[in-house]
Amino acid sequence: MGKEKYEESSSDEEVNSSSDVVEASSDEEVESSSDEVEASSDDVESSEDESSSDNEKVEESDSSEDEVAPRNTVGDIPLVEWHKDEEHIGYDIKGRKIMKQPRKDKLASFIEGADDPKNWRKIYDEYNDEEIELTKDEIKIIQRVISGRTPHAEVNPYEDYVDWFEYEDKGHPLSNAPEPKRRFIPSKWEQKRVANLVRKIRAGLIKVSDQHKEEEHNVYSLWTDDTDSVENKKHGGYVPAPKPKLPGHEEAYNPPVEYIPTAEEINSYELMYEEDRPKFIPRRYLNYRSVPAYDKGVKESFDRCLDQYLCPRTRKKRINIDPESLKPKLPSRKDLRPYPTTCYLEYRGHMGPVNCISVDPSGQWLASGSTDGTARVWEIETGRCLKIWEVGEVARQICWNPSPDRPILAVVLEYDVLLLNSGMGDIDIQTKMKELLHISEPGATEDAGDSKSAVTWIQHEKHDGIRMKHFKAVLSIEWHFKGDYFTTVVPSGDSKAILLHQLSKKHSETPFRKLGIPVTAVFHPSKKKFFVATKKFVHVYDLSKVEKIQKLETGVREISSISIHPGGENIIVGSKEGKMCWFDLELSTRPYKTLKVHSKDITRVTFHRTYPLFASASDDCTAYVFHSTVYSDLNQNPLIVPLEILRGHKPEHGRGVLDCKYHPRQPWLFTAGADSIIKLYCH
Amino acid sequence: MPPKHYRAPGKKKEGNAAKYITRTKATKYLQVSLNTFRKLCILKGIFPRVPKKKFEGNHKTYYSLKDITFLAHEPLLEKLRHKRAHEKKVKKAKARKNKELAERLLNRMPTYKLDRLILERYPTFVDALRDLDDCLTMVHLFASLPAVEGERIQVKRIHNCRRLSHEWQAFISRTHSLRKTFISVKGIYYQAEVQGQKITWLTPHALQQVLTDDVDFNIMLTFLEFYETLLGFVNFKLYNSINVKYPPILDPRLEALAAELYALFRYVATGSTRKPAENQSISSTEEKKDSDEKMDTCVNESDLQLAQLQHQLPSNEPGALMQLLEDSNNDDDDVDQDTIECKTLFKNLKFFLSREVPREALLFIIPAFGGVVSWEGEGTPFEETDEDIAYQIVDRPTQGHKFLSRHYVQPQWVFDCVNARIILPADAYMVGMVPPPHLSPFVDDEAEGYMPEYAETIKQLQATAKKNVMPLPDLDNQDLADPQNLIADGVMDRTQANEAAEERRKLQLLEKQYHDELKMEMSGITYSATLSNKKSENSGSEEMQHKDEVVVPVSTEKNDEDDRAKLYMSRKKRGLYEAIEISNQRKKDKVALLKERKRKASASKSG
Repeated sequence: MGKEKYEESSSDEEVNSSSDVVEASSDEEVESSSDEVEASSDDVESSEDESSSDNEKVEESDSSEDEVAPRNTVGDIPLVEWHKDEEHIGYDIKGRKIMKQPRKDKLASFIEGADDPKNWRKIYDEYNDEEIELTKDEIKIIQRVISGRTPHAEVNPYEDYVDWFEYEDKGHPLSNAPEPKRRFIPSKWEQKRVANLVRKIRAGLIKVSDQHKEEEHNVYSLWTDDTDSVENKKHGGYVPAPKPKLPGHEEAYNPPVEYIPTAEEINSYELMYEEDRPKFIPRRYLNYRSVPAYDKGVKESFDRCLDQYLCPRTRKKRINIDPESLKPKLPSRKDLRPYPTTCYLEYRGHMGPVNCISVDPSGQWLASGSTDGTARVWEIETGRCLKIWEVGEVARQICWNPSPDRPILAVVLEYDVLLLNSGMGDIDIQTKMKELLHISEPGATEDAGDSKSAVTWIQHEKHDGIRMKHFKAVLSIEWHFKGDYFTTVVPSGDSKAILLHQLSKKHSETPFRKLGIPVTAVFHPSKKKFFVATKKFVHVYDLSKVEKIQKLETGVREISSISIHPGGENIIVGSKEGKMCWFDLELSTRPYKTLKVHSKDITRVTFHRTYPLFASASDDCTAYVFHSTVYSDLNQNPLIVPLEILRGHKPEHGRGVLDCKYHPRQPWLFTAGADSIIKLYCH
Repeated sequence: MPPKHYRAPGKKKEGNAAKYITRTKATKYLQVSLNTFRKLCILKGIFPRVPKKKFEGNHKTYYSLKDITFLAHEPLLEKLRHKRAHEKKVKKAKARKNKELAERLLNRMPTYKLDRLILERYPTFVDALRDLDDCLTMVHLFASLPAVEGERIQVKRIHNCRRLSHEWQAFISRTHSLRKTFISVKGIYYQAEVQGQKITWLTPHALQQVLTDDVDFNIMLTFLEFYETLLGFVNFKLYNSINVKYPPILDPRLEALAAELYALFRYVATGSTRKPAENQSISSTEEKKDSDEKMDTCVNESDLQLAQLQHQLPSNEPGALMQLLEDSNNDDDDVDQDTIECKTLFKNLKFFLSREVPREALLFIIPAFGGVVSWEGEGTPFEETDEDIAYQIVDRPTQGHKFLSRHYVQPQWVFDCVNARIILPADAYMVGMVPPPHLSPFVDDEAEGYMPEYAETIKQLQATAKKNVMPLPDLDNQDLADPQNLIADGVMDRTQANEAAEERRKLQLLEKQYHDELKMEMSGITYSATLSNKKSENSGSEEMQHKDEVVVPVSTEKNDEDDRAKLYMSRKKRGLYEAIEISNQRKKDKVALLKERKRKASASKSG
């Protein structure tokens, strides 16, 4: 405000008329002008009591900007034009005139300028009527301005923008709305809410958040003494998780040397299946400090967790029993002697597997039939071959007539059955035999139309016997105990499968209806009963009435042979899967005992006629001897004791022992092997 | 029960279908997600079952229907639902950028307690102890994990685990109920006997644990949640049983020096001598101290705070500690023989742990067996220069300065002594030596059929020690300061005992032979027959002796007897018998392999 007044007053009094500022400059003028300023300042002094103080403040503020205050105070007026004719260029702060500088001669000034190396940086300040020498910094500023940059190098023209107003959480930068009234009066709703909270806190509905710390040790005596006594059983059969396995020696950091697998063993683990591979490979560290952290620790703990909540749990009874206690208490074998144990004799001579053997009722002779097409008779005690019949075909079965005064051998060939005179016994018997084995008229048996085609009785010229020609291959033959009747089995599905023959009359019958494919048939040792074995069943017939009495279910896959106990109430059945069934006819139609004896087919089972023994022969090259006591007391079950495994035969084309027979009076067992040897086992 | 739809008469669910439910159906029935169901199952201890017939297919998981109905009435289920609802609220607040609300809601997250569940699962205290193995292993594992912010596990919980495990160890050590220890590759196994229950747990080695990615920490943390609570309650009960106030107040300076265990020992020892009434009054004054000290432990306390706390400490001269420990030793009456044996194993022996030895394990074991232990560092009961130190445990290649009055042994010596329950001669465990093999105390060598060489040595030493049990106390009093002398005596006795035993055995052998011959003569066996039999007897098993046969037939082989019996067994029994035989055979094979390796090793050593 003060400045304006100055300007007004100065403009009224004089107008600066100086035309060329450089020329007009002299000391006197400066003095006079300063006088004038002083005088004029006196004039305005009274009016400017207040304003001077203001001015000083302004000066202070100017000085803070480190600029020398301009001596001239005329303000922004066209100096050249107004002060052209005046002696002064303006007024200083006190109001005194600032006189113009005496003008310099142009030539002098030029010379001066040429001498002065700093002349180029001197400029003439028109306003203050003086020459100013620019400093380096100022020149730099000028250069920067000229090149279009900011005057000061330290100024960053592209500074980050800092907003002067904080927008965040405000929603809108500015609002011109006047403060509403509600900001000045206490809120009714807040008051209500506070009151409500206070009430709730007092009532204990809201807890102040100091509770956090209390939770830290929130433990108390959970199990009191009475919980221990209370029957607090868990529901539904709780099964506690099994405890993890305790570590053995091999898990030690320093296990004994023998627990560390060799490099080869470790390599061999690689070849194993992943499940079989050992999970943990022991390693040895020579001292405790070298043991590293176990890298699977967390994983194993995690797996345990998974096991605990994912694995189904059941209670398994782990029996910790001595395996010996599982074995049944069998009577000592010593008490059950005698029974065949050792190979005593071998009968060699056959050229092929011996299919069948038979012991004559006197116990002196042994007959055998072989695949080499011969049938032989041996003397049992010496092992001498007594007689050889060249039958020309494979002898499948051979059977002595059980009657001692009829030393006849029945030999089964493919389709034929030969009845041969063995030539044993004295002259009376021999003559009788000759009679018996003579067929007077060849067509004598041809009476019934059906049986005619089944069997034909023919005289055999070569061996002086009878040849019975069957319509199909014969599987087995069995004599009746009296020695007159015998039966042959032809494995066909019709009623002609089982044939009964009478030797004295040279007559054959087919009394049975068809019952599947029979395998073998046996007479009862004392009664008029007849047993027919099909593949899975054994049929029991009454011969006097010709009707079926029983049907025994064996439960095996395929029956191979059958034998009747001399008492007649028990039978054993051998099967092709190596199982043997013991039937007690009075007990049940199901086996009393099934024994899995052999690993391969059972070829023959047989009872001893007098001793409580039976045996089974099998293709696995063994024969098994059993003890069997049958009690007359019906309440007592038969006692079966396995006694001995007889080995010695060698396998030939997958076959082992083909037949076994007991000696009629001694506890001796004959076995015929596929290795063409017959063996005698004695006690 | 699941929805009771109308079911035609006679069509009622029966059998397995009525007793079991598949997992999918169970979650649907409970109306929870699989995660919640899992959590519930873990906390409630519900596990899948195996129905006799898997009526919905073989690949499904079946639960007992009773278990699931039991879950349906569980208040925890409701709590978890609340929690889920609350989490949704927090999520919503965050989505709306209402930070304040979100924070407030987070602070007021619904919590649940597991105490009732623990009582339900373990109706008696013994039940809880029986099932403590997994709990302890897990807590010790987490205690050893790195307490680093930003990892998957909260630091608070790791500290809590650390505290709980130390409390447990302090109790075991104080009651001398530690029985067996074993350094395995996986960590150190401990077995303790508390109230007749054998509790075995595993602590990892004191090294940085490896956190693998193939582990779902949510599951583990759920388990840990239950285990932490369980162990807290168990500790409470156990501490109460020895008259110590439970949340123990620790010596903050020791705690700061990472010797919490030692601090706990001191606390337990002092606590037990104090009368309960006195305890109450003191505890109230100490409670405040405890609380600010707790805060300090939460935040890793700085040295400054430490200095502030130091003046609050009671005096901790080793002498005072000894006094306390001895006092506490005198006051138990009802202890069994085993505990007494354990308590006196290291009695009157002073141990010093070198810097490199893992301190925590030994600090736990040695006091548990009556020894006094110190280590290098601040706040220790006694210094390394103490003259009474009998054993210094070191684990370095060489020991520079040695005190002649003490033995320098490797850490394994302590573990082996503890397992053998005798002081083993320290010669084999000297510094820089390869120690003898470390054997697992959990193996019954006789049942296994193979006894390592070192086990036999230990057995002999035990036998001699047993013989010397009577004169030992005298020796103890006489020259405890001179253990060399003591051990030399022991060696003398041992050799004498060995000789005596040898003679006795010879006599017995002769006697037995005489009796055998007499018996044979009575049964009518000729001398030549016995000679022929003898060979087979020696080579074969002992069974041959019981056979009543004179002549062994050629046709029969040794297993004929077996075959005969096997033939007569039922199929079921035969199967069982064969399975037993197979497992026995496997065992034999294993032993044979061990013997073979041993033979080779000794051959290569000598050759």
